[in-house]
Amino acid sequence: MTRAFASVELGDDLPEVQPDVSMENVRLFCASARMPFGRFTDHEKARAEGLPGAIVPGIMSQALLSALVHRWSPGCRIENMDTIFRAPVLVDSKPTCRGVVTNTDPESETIELDLTIVNEAGETRVVGTAQVRL
Amino acid sequence: MEELNLEALKGEWVGVEFDTAEFEVKEAAMVDWATAVGETDRRFTDPDHSDFQAHPTFTTQFVSRRVLPKGFPRLGRGGFDGGKCVTLLVPVRAGDRLTGKSMIADLYEKTGRSGRMIFLVHRMSFHNQAGERVSTMDWKLVQQTREPKVSG
Repeated sequence: MTRAFASVELGDDLPEVQPDVSMENVRLFCASARMPFGRFTDHEKARAEGLPGAIVPGIMSQALLSALVHRWSPGCRIENMDTIFRAPVLVDSKPTCRGVVTNTDPESETIELDLTIVNEAGETRVVGTAQVRL
Repeated sequence: MEELNLEALKGEWVGVEFDTAEFEVKEAAMVDWATAVGETDRRFTDPDHSDFQAHPTFTTQFVSRRVLPKGFPRLGRGGFDGGKCVTLLVPVRAGDRLTGKSMIADLYEKTGRSGRMIFLVHRMSFHNQAGERVSTMDWKLVQQTREPKVSG
């Protein structure tokens, strides 16, 4: 059900999500995005490139954050999503997606969100903002 | 080594459209993309939904044939993807044929722990077959400069 604008308050936290970034799922994403690159889909090939293991594509991390927003407010419309890939998210790891309401505009009935993906150690890997119309 | 003049580079290259490419939006790819990221809203996972559409950042997978314009100078050693900003204007639908036009939208410098870095914003604007602009994607390419100083 769509979330009512009036029910949203500054500082509201979105329910956290632990996304599935298993190799199987990342391969499905890479196939859909036509990105069959070893650094995303094969741990050994990624290590050969100097990475600690296969990494989640940045555009998949961005899409994980979109899914977080839709889970919080089904039916909402994301008008803008801006993400910075600070450090890799590893395939087969257990990251957490988080969000918080940072602004509400009653005139346009839009919400601004700060979004992050952190790893198991609590280190921020991806940060972003979204503008959402409910 | 010759010093880079960022203002001169901006004047010469920012706003110059340098590539056009076409992309087909396939239903199966739309569903797989949304499924893989754990999407729960059926607008993005169910082709029978009355408002079935591509996931908001679906166009980020589409890349131009050239990353930089022909003749653009090499700014540094290597580079990395600094992030992407997507603005959505019209939903992308299954079967859409999108035309993506590329330009350099901005060039700016930042200094961090790893030294001076140049941020190049590669903008792709996507239009559908009806001529509607559906989205804009800004791709930030970060390059560490070879030169010790950037002027301008």
